Amino acid sequence: MGQSYVWHFNVVWEYRQVFVRGAGITAQLTAGSLLIGLVLGLLLGLMRSSRSGAMRVPAAVYVEAFRATPVLVQLVWLYYALPILTGFQMGPILSVSVGLGLHTAAYFAEIFRAGIASIDRGQWDAAKSIGMGYGQMMRRIILPQAVRRMIPPFINEIATLMKLTTLGSVLAVYELLHEAQNLINNTYRPLEIYTTLAVAFFVIIYPIIWLSQRLERYLKARS
Amino acid sequence: MIRISGLHKHFGKNHVLRGIDVEIAKGEVFVIVGPSGSGKSTLLRCINFLEEHDAGEIAIDGEPMGWRLAPGGKRVRDKESNVSRLRSQVAMVFQQFNLFPHKTVLENVVEGPIVVKREPPGEAAERAAALLDRVGLSDKVDAYPSTLSGGQQQRAAIARALAMQPKAILFDEPTSALDPELVGEVLAVMKGLAHKGLTMVIVTHEMQFARDVGDRVMMMDAGQVVELAPAKSFFAAPRNPRTVDFLRRLQLRESSDAA
Repeated sequence: MGQSYVWHFNVVWEYRQVFVRGAGITAQLTAGSLLIGLVLGLLLGLMRSSRSGAMRVPAAVYVEAFRATPVLVQLVWLYYALPILTGFQMGPILSVSVGLGLHTAAYFAEIFRAGIASIDRGQWDAAKSIGMGYGQMMRRIILPQAVRRMIPPFINEIATLMKLTTLGSVLAVYELLHEAQNLINNTYRPLEIYTTLAVAFFVIIYPIIWLSQRLERYLKARS
Repeated sequence: MIRISGLHKHFGKNHVLRGIDVEIAKGEVFVIVGPSGSGKSTLLRCINFLEEHDAGEIAIDGEPMGWRLAPGGKRVRDKESNVSRLRSQVAMVFQQFNLFPHKTVLENVVEGPIVVKREPPGEAAERAAALLDRVGLSDKVDAYPSTLSGGQQQRAAIARALAMQPKAILFDEPTSALDPELVGEVLAVMKGLAHKGLTMVIVTHEMQFARDVGDRVMMMDAGQVVELAPAKSFFAAPRNPRTVDFLRRLQLRESSDAA
């Protein structure tokens, strides 16, 4: 019944090197933007947890601005508009890493802020009462407790970030999706190639999500 | 040692401390009592600058806590490092213990000495072990707080406060969160400290303890000091009608007379 399509997955196997190369770039984009997102996110999260409005307001504006605009628009703006305004042009891979890093920082900031806010006020009181300064209190008392609660949402954000790297194809970055599209242009086998692509992402990302769920249950059971 | 003068504190529109003046002497066991909402815990938290007072001054051995007067007479917030240094000299024991749950009992006790006072870890651990022995927890050194009873947690918290070798310790209703059968072990430890001459400021509802261990007792109501007297006369012959009423409601006057 209906049309029967003859799958030719041997095309994919033939060009496996292309997928491996694309996966390498995807990993590179994820790692780069993750690093930027974590560092900037921690900074923004601490700023948003501050008592001082001069710290809190700029961080809040940043977070809301990046959460309320599409990430694709942010990437395109960074790649095409920023050089015109400033004369400073980053390469495509760096552009995407920085763009996704700035974007994901807004989400990491919220994870840090919520994690810090979830720690009982008594812990802050106790840390202060033995004479700890802000840095000591954060490093030794608040963050070690908060980070354990942040691990599950953290891992989810990493999975999201990895999926967002496919937007790099728009800026002609040879990550997995872009490599796949090129391959389609040469082989005329979109079904096989897109299917393989989806499976490849699933194989990489599902274990991360699975791990996050396991960890969440484990941490819940321990607390 | 702790001088409080003209202290005022608001929470929004709520005027919780309305001009407190009192001086607590070195080695004194100073007990604060009063109905809930009278401001006694807030006063205690102000002494350690966990709450920031709006007017007046708190001085620890003559050094003002939290606020300094700038040239021109304007009140400015003191440097964080000064606040921390003064806080480390006035340790605190909390109603909910507030032990650090991710650290063992020993780690809780050595945290302040090592991180804040920069003591060599070996020495700090030795002193901590001795303190834990003193509060009867030598067998719980490596336990995590969540595995301890409330009474054990509070005794560990007292050891943590003592480890800072503070000039005074503030106790904020230290037995209020405990099951009745665990109150005694914590009070016994506190009594031992009082006999060793530690300066203690204690907010409590344990009137028996206040009478037996306290040097002076201060009654607060609606953010003001209602009565301040030596412990014996405070319970035997209270002068203010509000104190009389408060003690009668706790039904302690009778037992005090009988004793």
